[in-house]
Amino acid sequence: MQYDTLLGPEGQTEFLLGNEAVARGIYEAGVSVAATYPGTPSSEIGDVLYRISDRMGIKFEFATNEKVALEIAAAASAGGLRSFVFMKHVGLNVAMDSFVSLSGAGVKGGMVVLSADDPSMHSSQNEQDNRFLGKFAKTIVIEPSSPQELKDFIVMAFDLSEEVGHPVLLRSATRISHVRAPVRFGAAKDKKGWKYQKDPSFLLLPENAYKAQISINERLKRVTNSRYSENFNRVYGDSSTLIITSGAAYNYVDEALQMLNVKARVMKIGLSFPLDLDVVSKEIGKAERVVFIEEGGPFLEEQVLSFSALHSINREFHGKLSGSVPASYEMNVDRLVGFLSKIFGIDFPVKDKTLGLPERAITLCPGCPHRATYYVVKMAMKQKGIKNAIVPTDIGCYTLGYYEPYQLGDFVFSMGSSIGSSNGFTANAGERVISFIGDSTFFHSGIPALINAYHNNHNFVVVILDNFITAMTGGQPTPETSPPFRRVDIESVVRGIGIKNVFTIDPYDLNNSLSIFKKALDSKELAVVISKRECALEVDRKRSPSEIKVFQVNQDKCSLCYNCVSNFSCAAFYIDNGKVEIDPELCDGCSVCSEPLVCPFNAIEVKP
Amino acid sequence: MVSIVFAGVGGQGLITAANMVGKAAVTEGKNVLMTELHGMAQRGGSILVEVRIGDYKSAIIPLGMADVIVGFEKLETARNLPKLKKGGTILLNERRIHPISLTIKKESYPDLAIEERLKDHNPIKVEADQIALDLDNKRVVNTVMTGALFSTGLLEISEESLHAAIKGSFPEKLWEANFKAFEAGKRLSQVQATRVL
Repeated sequence: MQYDTLLGPEGQTEFLLGNEAVARGIYEAGVSVAATYPGTPSSEIGDVLYRISDRMGIKFEFATNEKVALEIAAAASAGGLRSFVFMKHVGLNVAMDSFVSLSGAGVKGGMVVLSADDPSMHSSQNEQDNRFLGKFAKTIVIEPSSPQELKDFIVMAFDLSEEVGHPVLLRSATRISHVRAPVRFGAAKDKKGWKYQKDPSFLLLPENAYKAQISINERLKRVTNSRYSENFNRVYGDSSTLIITSGAAYNYVDEALQMLNVKARVMKIGLSFPLDLDVVSKEIGKAERVVFIEEGGPFLEEQVLSFSALHSINREFHGKLSGSVPASYEMNVDRLVGFLSKIFGIDFPVKDKTLGLPERAITLCPGCPHRATYYVVKMAMKQKGIKNAIVPTDIGCYTLGYYEPYQLGDFVFSMGSSIGSSNGFTANAGERVISFIGDSTFFHSGIPALINAYHNNHNFVVVILDNFITAMTGGQPTPETSPPFRRVDIESVVRGIGIKNVFTIDPYDLNNSLSIFKKALDSKELAVVISKRECALEVDRKRSPSEIKVFQVNQDKCSLCYNCVSNFSCAAFYIDNGKVEIDPELCDGCSVCSEPLVCPFNAIEVKP
Repeated sequence: MVSIVFAGVGGQGLITAANMVGKAAVTEGKNVLMTELHGMAQRGGSILVEVRIGDYKSAIIPLGMADVIVGFEKLETARNLPKLKKGGTILLNERRIHPISLTIKKESYPDLAIEERLKDHNPIKVEADQIALDLDNKRVVNTVMTGALFSTGLLEISEESLHAAIKGSFPEKLWEANFKAFEAGKRLSQVQATRVL
C-alpha cells in the first residue's frame, strides 16, 4: 500500500513530504486520537491517516469542521490519551473558542494542535501568523523548520505537553509541510490507557475559569524554568551580528549569508512561546546588531524588543518592526539577500524575474460539473433579465467562478460566509442575491447561516455545488461519504429546516438545469438548488484514460461563433489560427459542450 | 550539488517525476530537498517543482541558480528561465497546453514569445508526449522526462537507484511501461550537458 513505508522500523530513512513526516511523528509519539478538517497545506496528513491510522493504532476522524476536530482531541486528552488535531491556519479561527478554553483547562494526555500557515497565500484568504493566536490563547508555541524537525518536534512536543499539563501549538508553514526531504525514523512509543477522572478544571464556569488563569501562568512558567528551550533552540556562528530566526525562514539564512559572503551568529528558535528570554538576552548582550528573520509577523521580534525596552538593552535592531525586513509574504533566499545586503551595507545586484509572458489563469478542470452549473446560471440570469445580481460565494474549487468568463462570485470571507453574508445582502439590497457553496463547506459552516435565512424570512437563491467530495484539498471524504460512514443527505437537511423551494439537478443536464434555475430566480421565498454530480477528478481516479471518449470540433459544421470558448470555456478548448480545437489529452469526455445549449451547430462530436 | 527545476502544468505528472529523483537520491544516502507550488487549481494551472540534491537547507532555488530545467510544457519552461544558471541546461518537451485565459480572448498559443526567450539557451528537445503515445501509455510522459534528465549526467545518481525509485513510485503492473519510458528518455539526448560551475 501507498503509505506502508511510514510504518517502518526505527532507523529507517524515507523521502517524505512534511505532512507525511507529521503522520509518522504522531505514530512515534504514541498518539491514540487524531482529528482534522482538511485544509491546504495540512491536508496530506489526513490523507495518510485516513488510509493507515488503523495500523498505527490511532482513531482518526475527518470532522465536520475544525472546532469539532479540536473538541474530539480535547476530550481524548481529558481521558489521559495523547491526542492530535491539525488544520490550516484559518481553521484555527474556527476552532478558536475551544482552543482558548483548552489552555485554561490544561491537558491530561499530551495534546498538540498543528497549524499549517500559508505565507504568500498560495491557497488561502490571508497569511495570518498563528504563533500570535498561540500566544493569545496562552498555549506553548513550537516551530520546526524541516520535515525531520516536524517529526522530531512533534514527539518532543507531546512529552513537553504532558509533563507540563499544557497544550502545544505546533506551527508549520507551506514550505515545511509541502517540502519533501529525507526523514529518519525513531521508535514508536506505547500508547496511554484511557483514564478519565472528573476534574472541575474542565468545566469553565466563572469560578473554575477564575482559578484557571493562575494555573495557565504557572504552567507556562514551568516551561521556561525547566529550560525546555535547550531541546528546541540552537545557536551557532561567530559574529557581532546576531540573526534570530525560526521556522521556514531559518532555511534561507545560511545560503543568503554565503551569497553575500558575510558572517553572522545564528540563533534558531524552536520554542517560540514562552520565549526563553534569559538565554536570548545573553546572546543579545554579546551582539552589536540584531536581525530578526521570521516567516509571518514580528513574533519573536516583539517579545525580544519589549523585554529589551524593559531592561534598557539598546542595540541596532533590524526586523519587520524597524522596517528593514519586508512585513508580508513568504521568505526565500533571494528576499533575504535583498534586505541583508542593505543591512550589511553591501552592493548586491538585484535579479530581474519578469519575462512578460502570458499568465496561465487557474481554471476549473475539464469535465468539472461546476462549469456546467455556472454556464446555466449565467444563461438563466440573462433570460430573466437579471443584470446586477450580488453573488456571495465560498471556499472551494468553485471560488474560481470569480474568473472570466463566469464572473460569478463577488464576496468571500471564510468558510460558510456565502450564506451568512447573503442574509445581510438580502435584508438591505434591492438586487437579487445568488449564493454559491460547496457540499463540504455547507456541512462545515453553511447550515447555521441557512437556518438563519429561513427563520428570518430572507429571500435569496442558494446553490449547493455537491460533488460528494472535499475536492480542492485533494479529495477527502465529506459527511455524504459512505460506507463505512453514515451518509448525511443534503436535501434532507435543507428540507428539515422547513425550506419548501428545494430543487436537485444534474448539472450535465443543461435543459432541465436551465428551467430549474429560472424557477428558483422567480421564487418569492428562499430557494435552494442542489447541483449534484461527482467531481470529475474522482471519476478519473476510477477509470483508465482509454475509457474516455474524447470530443473534437467538426470544422465543416463550426460557424466560428466562439460561444464554446467565450462562455462555456472548458480548459480543453484552444484556438489555432482562429479555429476552435479540443486538446484530446485534456478532454474529459463529459460531452456537455456538445449539447445544443453550448453548440447550437452540433459541431462538437465524439472523436472517432 | 545540483538544483533542478521541473516546470509544467497540473496533470502532467511533474510531482511524481521529481519524487522519483528524490527517492533515488535518498537511496544513495544523499541529502535532497523538494518543494512544489501549484496554487488552488487541481488541473490546468502552472506547476513548479524544485529539487536540490546536496548540502542545502532551502528547497526553493534562488534566481539564476538552477543547473537544469526539466520542461514538461513550453510556456512553463520559458516562464522559469530566471531560475536557470547562465549556460544551464534545458530539457524541453514540445508539448503546448493552451492557457484558457488566451483561448477566451480567441488568441493562439504564444509560440513566438516563447521561442524568442528560449533561443539563446539551446534547449535539448524531448518529444516526451509522442514517445509516450508510441509506448501506448499517455501517463509515462514524466518517466520519459526523468530518463532524459538522467542522460544529462547532471544527477550524479545511478541508474539502479532510479530503477528502484520507479518501483517505489508505481504499482507493479506499471513497472515495465515505466522502465521502457525511462530507457526511451535516456536515449533521447545523447548530448552530455556541460556542467556550469
